Amino acid sequence: MKADIITIADFSMRFGKTTVIDNLSFTVRRGETFGLLGSNGSGKTTTLRALLGIYTPMAGTLHIEGKPYQVDGGVKLGYLPEERGLYKKESVIDVMTYFGQLKGLSRHDAHEFSLKYLERVGLAEKVKTRLDKLSGGQQQKVQLGVTIMNNPDLLILDEPTKGFDPVNRRLLMDIVEEHQKKGATVIFVSHQMEEVERLCDRIILLKDGNAAAYGSIKEVRKKFDGKSLDEIFLKVYGQKAGQN
Amino acid sequence: MHNLGTVFWFEVVRTLKKKSFWLASLLFPVVIAAVAGIIFFSNKATNEASSNTDKQKFSFAVKDESGLVNPLFVKAFNGKEVTSRAQGVADVKTGKLDAFFYYPKQVTTTKIEVYAKDVGLFDNGRYDAVAKSILTQSVASTVSAGTASVLKNEVQSSVTTYRDGAPYNGFMEMIAPALFLVLFYLMIVTFGNQMLNATIEEKENRVIEMILTTINAKALIIGKILSLIVLGFLQILVVMVPLLIGYFLLRDSFSLPNVDLTHLPLDPQRILIGFAIFALSFMMFTGLLVAIGAAAPTAKEAGSFFGVVMLFIFGPLYAVSLFVSSPEMPIVQFLSYFPFTAPIPLMLRNAVGNLELWQALISCAILAVTAFAVMLLAVRTFRYGALEYDRRLGLKEIFVRKA
Repeated sequence: MKADIITIADFSMRFGKTTVIDNLSFTVRRGETFGLLGSNGSGKTTTLRALLGIYTPMAGTLHIEGKPYQVDGGVKLGYLPEERGLYKKESVIDVMTYFGQLKGLSRHDAHEFSLKYLERVGLAEKVKTRLDKLSGGQQQKVQLGVTIMNNPDLLILDEPTKGFDPVNRRLLMDIVEEHQKKGATVIFVSHQMEEVERLCDRIILLKDGNAAAYGSIKEVRKKFDGKSLDEIFLKVYGQKAGQN
Repeated sequence: MHNLGTVFWFEVVRTLKKKSFWLASLLFPVVIAAVAGIIFFSNKATNEASSNTDKQKFSFAVKDESGLVNPLFVKAFNGKEVTSRAQGVADVKTGKLDAFFYYPKQVTTTKIEVYAKDVGLFDNGRYDAVAKSILTQSVASTVSAGTASVLKNEVQSSVTTYRDGAPYNGFMEMIAPALFLVLFYLMIVTFGNQMLNATIEEKENRVIEMILTTINAKALIIGKILSLIVLGFLQILVVMVPLLIGYFLLRDSFSLPNVDLTHLPLDPQRILIGFAIFALSFMMFTGLLVAIGAAAPTAKEAGSFFGVVMLFIFGPLYAVSLFVSSPEMPIVQFLSYFPFTAPIPLMLRNAVGNLELWQALISCAILAVTAFAVMLLAVRTFRYGALEYDRRLGLKEIFVRKA
């Protein structure tokens, strides 16, 4: 069995009087693709934000490589957040180069990577275009490029296909598969159960801040009488899933 | 903090690429030059008009009961005398005369009366000018030329004051330290809004999460603050250089005053103190404005706090005379030591020379501690207010919040 790269133990989080996560524990193994599933408001994004140090947990520990995540802690992270955006008034190449440098690349390497990536995704002619002059789909491609430009060991994608057209979705899947082959650990937050079944090795299904299901896809399906992830999702959430 | 330089250069370069930066910077000297031009030409026109009163072509009459008006000067101005005040007024009303001047018995206690045909708001001034000129020249003609000059307040004086046995020119001495006050004012006025919006862009564009997982919040904020300080200086250069070039090129054409700075006294201690107060104050307010921007969800909401900060900074200007004349007053002391009101009083008092060294050192220490605290506050506010896209972060959350 592969070693754990992420360990979350007894994690609780509360906003005001609302408990979002209640004593949650799970691990993610090095090199696997892990699905973080749950309805809207189930605590997926909160868990990721706490894992990445954006939120401080009320209780429990969230470790990457055995310690709380720190920007300068040596973990090569690629994070595509749910709330997406870049510096819209700057040119594509300037923004990509800037983020590349922040992620530890030299200016030259960041620039070169950006040009190659933009060529690959059909945006070579938009290099000097301001981001707000690009279409939504084109901006998503740039955002994805920024996410992977440091060749991350840990790729965290929070609802990555949200708002993506089929072309960008295909591109995203190709990129995820490329990084899987390179041995990167991927955390995948999604409502698309087909994609989760196809891409993920293991999953956790959150409900009301707790793990309603956790394990390999095979184990989870076995626990729920061989049902598909779609059916399991509906069963766990019942009527609530549709309401959200 | 290893990304500090990357943030700094990114912020500086992208601001320098903005048209709005150059437009605002270059528009400022243009506006200053335009205003100066209007004032210059307005004064010139006024002076020409008043100096040409003797050439004014209008018919008038006088009635003198003071005995001071010399009929020769009335004639010199092409005027005539009438027998009564009522007749003079009637002649103006009927249009026989353009103007009538009535000199009462006691011109020192009773006003000269001028009745005239309306020729517009500005040109109406010619009547009063001629009436007074006739009286002044009439009286001056009764005494010697020297006495007349004294009476007309045309004599000049030179003042030499001494401090510690050496000549001391208080006004010239204050010029160099006062430049920091002018610089501070210009930088806050022209760059304050950009400071306020320094972190708004990350929020409004939803870049925050990408940023916070890529770079230390402290490095980002410090990098931004440093870039703002450098950009502030650059903007002042952009403002000042065209003004200076314009001055040297057009000085002779427009008869601008010749400013000779070669004999400008430079007091190293006051200049050093002025610089320290300026630098610390600028850092403090940059941090404060960045912190306010970080706590607000939108530029519009952050803007509503801008006025309050400006009130703290420039409010003390209303008490300028107190800072100069009564530095020992409690209100002056309070405004000088309270860090958010201190910059203007301190720089002003340092310029006029009534800020003691020990007072300056205490003030600088207070400003330095406050600047440091405010920068930490800016980092903390950015860190905790980062994901508050829709609401303003409260003070309690900034100071008490753990997560």
